Amino acid sequence: MSLVKINIGPVHPSTHGLLRLVVTLDGDTIVNVEPHVGFLHRGVEKLAENRMYMQIPPFIEKCDYVAKTAMDEAYVATVEAAMGIEPNERAQYERVILLELQRIASHLLWLGAMLNDLGHFFSVFMWTFADRDKVLKLLEEATGQRMFYVNMRLGGLRQEFPKDFEYHVLDVLAYLEKRINEYESFIENSSLFKERMYKVGVLSRDDAINLGVSGPVLRASGVNFDVRKDKPYYVYKKLNFKPIVLYNGDNFSRYKVRILEIKESIRLIREAFKQMPDGNATGMPIKLINPAPKNKVVRVSREGPRGEIMFYLVADEQRPYRLAMRTPAFINLAALNHIAKGNKFANLFPIIGSLDLVMADVDK
Amino acid sequence: MLINELIEIIEYFIVMLITAFAFAYFFGWLERKFVGKFQRRHGPTYLGKFGLLQNLADFFKLLTKEQVWPKKADKLLFLVSVFLIAGFTLYLVMLLPIYNFYIINSSIILLLIFIILSFLPILIALNGYSSSNKFAMISAQRSILLLISFEIPLFLVLIAIGYYVHSYSIVSIVNAQSNLWFLFIMPIGFFVFLMALLAEMERTPFDLREADSELIAGWLTDTGAPYYMLALFVDYIRSFFGAAIISLLFLGGWYGPFGNSFIWLFIKTIFVALFIMFIRAIAIRMRIDRILYFGWIVLLALSIINLYLVYLGY
Amino acid sequence: MIIDRKDLIDTISSFKKKGFSYLVKILGIDYIDYISVLYILRNLDSDEEIEIEVHLNQNDLWVPTIINIFKGADWYERELYEMFGIEIKGRKVRKLLLEKFSENIYPLRKSFKWGTK
Repeated sequence: MSLVKINIGPVHPSTHGLLRLVVTLDGDTIVNVEPHVGFLHRGVEKLAENRMYMQIPPFIEKCDYVAKTAMDEAYVATVEAAMGIEPNERAQYERVILLELQRIASHLLWLGAMLNDLGHFFSVFMWTFADRDKVLKLLEEATGQRMFYVNMRLGGLRQEFPKDFEYHVLDVLAYLEKRINEYESFIENSSLFKERMYKVGVLSRDDAINLGVSGPVLRASGVNFDVRKDKPYYVYKKLNFKPIVLYNGDNFSRYKVRILEIKESIRLIREAFKQMPDGNATGMPIKLINPAPKNKVVRVSREGPRGEIMFYLVADEQRPYRLAMRTPAFINLAALNHIAKGNKFANLFPIIGSLDLVMADVDK
Repeated sequence: MLINELIEIIEYFIVMLITAFAFAYFFGWLERKFVGKFQRRHGPTYLGKFGLLQNLADFFKLLTKEQVWPKKADKLLFLVSVFLIAGFTLYLVMLLPIYNFYIINSSIILLLIFIILSFLPILIALNGYSSSNKFAMISAQRSILLLISFEIPLFLVLIAIGYYVHSYSIVSIVNAQSNLWFLFIMPIGFFVFLMALLAEMERTPFDLREADSELIAGWLTDTGAPYYMLALFVDYIRSFFGAAIISLLFLGGWYGPFGNSFIWLFIKTIFVALFIMFIRAIAIRMRIDRILYFGWIVLLALSIINLYLVYLGY
Repeated sequence: MIIDRKDLIDTISSFKKKGFSYLVKILGIDYIDYISVLYILRNLDSDEEIEIEVHLNQNDLWVPTIINIFKGADWYERELYEMFGIEIKGRKVRKLLLEKFSENIYPLRKSFKWGTK
């Protein structure tokens, strides 16, 4: 039995970014997968030590170019915890609305990219991108930027929601609900999809906890842990948030968890708009900040679309002394070796697709 | 007399060549537009009205690129295999009759066509071996596996048709459909033939060779530009051949409501081609072991059932 | 809680037995006199988190590996090695994010100034 090493190089036609995999094959079975990463490493943790607190969000946002608001908000929440500032209630509702919109946009991109990996010829990719564009238009209306919205300020947002934003959002949500149902029935009625995703890439519950994965990958293996429920922040308690847990741990469960999460996000946004009080959600402008940290060492966890984002901040007067980030795709990719062992080679790319990796997350 | 026949043959050769090239060009354009409309985008629109000149522009662009040979590749074998594949495919197209314009009306011509089609795995093996790339070899191995496992159901359906019509000449088969298309007489046979032909033409869901997301671009990874274009062109000619064969054998060929003419054949061919492109737009690629299961077990059983039903019905 | 390096593996195993079965992150902080390595564990049932801290002197930088307790510690330890220069005793680690051919450069230490190579 001779082992063959194949190099799936850093540039490939799927939409993953720069990921190099060295796969050791025994015939058609995978023996070992070793990801070589680091092509997108920019040294964000070191850069943050040299900049003032509110100069850092642009770096953090570029660490996950698909779901930017999640990283931005996690960082700003860490700084707020260090300074002892708490956003008022309307600001909390508005932040939740932006976060959930971002989650929908990120999951739509994941859906297109995963079907591309399976061999589909870009059709669902095009459709989900058109839908994601509608959500991005909403975010552009709220923040003024299409791509990197550095929108969070200490204590709130950069600006209030514009007038009639609520009606635009509810229109797009009604349209998205129908489209998600269409995608679900279109994809799940195809027996080709089912036979490639059922029982492929199984991750058992104990392994999932031991490996430290998070997000939909963890919840698809039967572990009922979601940062929004277990360490609730903002107004998720008032919105009656329930996490979505499936018990099979295969590719299909990971796919289904994310689809159901989109539906749950739609419901959360509608509830948030109904419950939102009046007030002003604008936070502190950057120039007026004279930070004096009350708590020297802070640790804040948030739930991003890919998993748990955690920031650990050792605060100094004007600059962070040490900013440590735990990004979700980093540890999800480390679990790839364990999941893909023993599978056939043709199953490798569906497994990568279902883990929802964004390389900038991995490389920080 | 020999000179006359020679001139006729050359005339036929040129006409069929032009038809095949025109169809391949048209198919390329149709696929890009049709699949594009499916995906909520226009296809090519810039060059020529409706983007008709896009393929011509691509042709010229690919001709002007530099050809790079990897060190360990076997140049002669690669060239021989590429040109042989192109030659064999064109030869297949030559043998098809179009209304009353055909080169030969022997009674075993259908068998000849499919025997030539079965040569292709060997040529693909040569092609994959001659390029020194690991990916091309794996790709070639997979596609040989694919092609040979779908040949037996194909031949069984042909035997069923031949049994029904008492001859393997395509002209007789089309003439036997003057009352009722074979689509309605043997629907199982039609399904088996369509699936097997999709595999022989290597279209989705069986397009292992050009698996975009696995193994980079498969067998075409190391090919230089002119041969890449030749390979794609040959792919389109094979699709034309497949669509034409299905419309000749099952959809009544050149019979149509307002008098028989070759226009009906072309319309039916285009219709079948649109259906094949539709499948490409919405289907996911199957995994190799599921493809083999489908070919060796499902299609084989269905084709045997079809043969038995035709025997009983006759 | 701050413990000594020699009690590290026993403490972490005992916490894992008590239910803290999820490793959140291993991180390092460079205070100039010493480097402190933090292990953050979480209990999934009761949602408590605990930080275990180990202080290392600058001329004695090594920690034992905990990969037999938590499989997910693999990449965290590799990052610790390449960013701070802390050796991981018990297995061979390779660099993860940085170039494989740069020696003796540990970016996240405070002694690594901007603009140096």
